[in-house]
Amino acid sequence: MSAARSMRKKYIPSTALKIVLCIFWLFAIILPLIRMLSTMATVDVGQVLSTAKFARALGHSLLVTAVATVISVCLAGLLAWCVARTNIKHKALLNTLLIVPMLIPSISHGMGLIIILGSNGWISRIIGLQNGIYGFWGIVIGSVMYSFPVAYLMIYDVLHYEDGTPYEAGNVMGLSVKDKFFAITLPYLRKPLISVIFATFTMVITDYGVPLMVGGKFTTLPVMMYQDVIGMLDFGKGSVIGMIMLIPAIIACVIDMANRDKGNANFVGKPYTIKKNVARDNVARIICILTIILIFLPIASFAVLGFINKYPIDMAFSFKNLNQAVHMGAMKYLRNSVIIAVVVSILGTALALVNAYMTARNKTKLSYVLHLMSITSLAIPGLVLGLSYVMFFKSTPIYGTFAILFLVNAMHFFASPYLMAYNTFGKINENLEDVGSTMGIGRWGIIKDVILPQSFGTILEMMSYFFINCMMTISAVSFLANVSDKPLALMITQFEGQMQLECAAFVSLLILAVNVLLKVVIYFIKKATNKSN
Amino acid sequence: MEKLEVKGLSKSFGHSEVLHDISFSVHDGEFLSILGPSGCGKTTILRILIGLESAEKGMILKDGVDITNLPSAKRKMGIVFQNYALFENMSVLKNVQYALLKSTSTKDSFNKEQAAQKAKEMLELVDLSEHLDKKPRQLSGGQQQRVAIARTLALNPDVILFDEPMSALDVDTRLSLRGELKELQKRFGTTMIYITHDQEEAFAMSDRIMVMDSGVIQQLDTPSNIVDHPANDYVKRFVIQNINIKINSLIQFARTEDKTE
Repeated sequence: MSAARSMRKKYIPSTALKIVLCIFWLFAIILPLIRMLSTMATVDVGQVLSTAKFARALGHSLLVTAVATVISVCLAGLLAWCVARTNIKHKALLNTLLIVPMLIPSISHGMGLIIILGSNGWISRIIGLQNGIYGFWGIVIGSVMYSFPVAYLMIYDVLHYEDGTPYEAGNVMGLSVKDKFFAITLPYLRKPLISVIFATFTMVITDYGVPLMVGGKFTTLPVMMYQDVIGMLDFGKGSVIGMIMLIPAIIACVIDMANRDKGNANFVGKPYTIKKNVARDNVARIICILTIILIFLPIASFAVLGFINKYPIDMAFSFKNLNQAVHMGAMKYLRNSVIIAVVVSILGTALALVNAYMTARNKTKLSYVLHLMSITSLAIPGLVLGLSYVMFFKSTPIYGTFAILFLVNAMHFFASPYLMAYNTFGKINENLEDVGSTMGIGRWGIIKDVILPQSFGTILEMMSYFFINCMMTISAVSFLANVSDKPLALMITQFEGQMQLECAAFVSLLILAVNVLLKVVIYFIKKATNKSN
Repeated sequence: MEKLEVKGLSKSFGHSEVLHDISFSVHDGEFLSILGPSGCGKTTILRILIGLESAEKGMILKDGVDITNLPSAKRKMGIVFQNYALFENMSVLKNVQYALLKSTSTKDSFNKEQAAQKAKEMLELVDLSEHLDKKPRQLSGGQQQRVAIARTLALNPDVILFDEPMSALDVDTRLSLRGELKELQKRFGTTMIYITHDQEEAFAMSDRIMVMDSGVIQQLDTPSNIVDHPANDYVKRFVIQNINIKINSLIQFARTEDKTE
């Protein structure tokens, strides 16, 4: 029937776009991964996996990750409770301060730890710690510092938005505090908590910045992979380890997906009412202040270390490290980083918006494929993605240019901003395009004039996420950058190799400063737009 | 000539047939309700009438012209959704003004000021003059629905479709909105097709009611004829019993009130 045919015509452009996007994903994620995995045909996988060194690294990784995850999530839970469930003052400020560690690279956390608790660390000297905190505990502490803010943010959101009505019902029924915790809070927290645990686990097990710095002889899988590829150029062995690293990340990702609530629970309730309890508030205040001091200890140490002559021999104030870093090209690398961060935040956000529109507001069978592709990056560690890209794009013209760094970063950090857009688009009235088309306002008109303006806050968040992560990342880019396009964060690894901790501290500060600046700019843009609305 | 004529409409989603050989016509200026339980196919009819969905079989004539393959925007019809589908980022005034400026049917006849003027007039009709600069979320549900109605009316359609527009509203708001809707219909002479699962609403507002179940029309007649001569058991059960129950409970309620006094 011709009616059906003419109607089908409407869908052709969006189907074509979806197919183009699928082809893009094929080349940006799937084929590079296959290329990396295919090298295993040339390597004796069994032999790599059966070495004592590998078994040790695997054991180390699992152990460190398990311990760090438990500590990080417990600490995050405690802090989230302190801020969300007490009448403590300055909650917005506390929330900002507690997530500052998210603005520096993981390797800087490792370095901060060395400055404080290394063999020459200033606290080590005070308390007489002889050999410093290298190895197991070093990695655990560094990983906690690095992953804590993410876990904190997730749990805080959950507690903050919890519906207060079940508690009121509980009070009417005369339940004790303990009963209410086990009957209401815990069941409510179970699902989100599983998500938090897996997010933290994935973050820690795939990270190589912290163990590279403070691991010493305690080698973990990512460090082993990094050394095999960078040090010995052994891509085959690197690929095998990469594949092994994919396994826990994929398992974590799948469990997390299965665990997630389907659809948007749009419950109407009332906020949790916090009772008056001065003693509890005081305890919470002390915990928050202590944590913030601990968080800022390494950052303050960078600030000191970045501006003294030579720790610990010559503690005089100087711009020597600044000059040294600038001399070694810090400004050029900073420029590289900013170029990468700006381009990726624009292109990555645009791509994420298009993808999310096609999966959230234009649902067809292809949408599921696109959705799956869009979230795969959650399960791919940066090092693995980087190595895949080296092997897949080696003989293409984009290899060795900025373009491949744009692409690898956009892909590496794609899932989170994509999910932000997906959720926002899903919540916007589903009939808008229909109402538009009956009025003779096309899909694009509705997107441009109604949907995008309504998503403005989300778009800012997405851009900021891409930007900050591009400024910090050292994993995927470490195999792909060269002298001319190297980003700033990679100078930290370089300085670390040359034992120039002061310069590395200065670079970490620089990254922190750029990211804080960005956050401030975003804050003011949001404030201005809220006012105009 | 009939305003709308629907001939032999059929539609399936996958293996389940949602509409089976539906034929009916709507007179000019009529208020027709389509009444049925959820899943009976009433919303699908609406979406096919306005061209958001296509039928596998059948034909739609408007003023005697075949519009079966016409794009939605060229059918000169409007639709009001249950969830209002307002432009949340725009003020009440801008919601209507934007529609006038962008719609293919009106954009050539209005400049910015004229569109604003026309929007104000439309919003005055639905009693929203005090709220022109507010955002939709600052309004009550009933007020939001009135914005949606004003926005639809502004484009001057000769048929307006309503997809359960009041089911999210409270009883008082429904009652007053019913009256306003009838008022607007009289004033503009627009043909209205109104979908609902609420028998009382259908009986209170309609010139004729089309009772549907499982994709088939059970009866299409005036309210009084449906009550006096229900076509089959289904109509009897679904329509009349429900209304009786409501009336009985009202009587019951009145009696207990009397006793307590």
